[in-house]
Amino acid sequence: MQAMLRGALLCSLFVAVGCRPGAVRPTPPPEEQPSVTAACDDTQKAISQAADTRASPYGIDQHVEKNFKDRKVSWLMPEALYQKFVVQTGAKNFGRCNDSGCFLFAAPTATIQEAVTKSMVDGKHDPAVIGQALGLPAKNFEGPLRMMTLDLAASKSCARLPVDEDPGVWKCQTPEDTDCFKFGGYTSGGIPEIMVINAPVDQATVAEIP
Amino acid sequence: MSDEEVLIQSPLMYRLLRAPDGTLTLEVVVGGFAMYEVRVRLTAEEAEQYAREGRAFADRMAQAIMANPPFGGRSVRG
Repeated sequence: MQAMLRGALLCSLFVAVGCRPGAVRPTPPPEEQPSVTAACDDTQKAISQAADTRASPYGIDQHVEKNFKDRKVSWLMPEALYQKFVVQTGAKNFGRCNDSGCFLFAAPTATIQEAVTKSMVDGKHDPAVIGQALGLPAKNFEGPLRMMTLDLAASKSCARLPVDEDPGVWKCQTPEDTDCFKFGGYTSGGIPEIMVINAPVDQATVAEIP
Repeated sequence: MSDEEVLIQSPLMYRLLRAPDGTLTLEVVVGGFAMYEVRVRLTAEEAEQYAREGRAFADRMAQAIMANPPFGGRSVRG
């Protein structure tokens, strides 16, 4: 009786998979993506290595694997700033530019998108809701915004852990400080962040957030 | 439409503006993945320094504002 049952089960399994042993194909392993530092120049690679040493045993590769698995990053700007510093200047890259490159803080797209979606009321975003979700003051999000998104893999952009010396860093002075920079890949509000170097304007998607 | 004249539009993401009365103001983009703007009016001493050093002074002052946006209570939201 047991042998008959076993046979019936085996048969139904073969029916489910096509009754041919050759039809069962193992799922191919996910394609391994190169490190986001692969696109960096020697200077940025050296900065990234020093940052990884400081953050050890953590590092940029673990940070990306944990928080930026899809390699998609986003950031927010008030509409007026987007017009003044991106559109009117015809900027080629996002961020603060010096002789070494253009430096841009970004967060996981899913995190920002979720905060924005949650904040929408009657077709407009609520700054308090975005602020609370992203661990930042609501006043940072007042007025119409632009949300930029960049695929680090597709654009082959250089990225690494942000460091104290990066343009735009406002270092926290005490552990209680918020809205300021703490080394380690997370904002003082606990949101994952990454430093993107030379994020190309023409490869980013830009969404209006009324 | 602002009647301020743009003296410097910097790739560091700041602008130096001059009002019709001669007052100089730095308009600086601060923040991380959520950027915002603050404005700081230059004192007479800072305006003199800018007159002497030009863009190098404006760069230094703008970077000092990015590194500490409240800027000793002198900044206002843009």
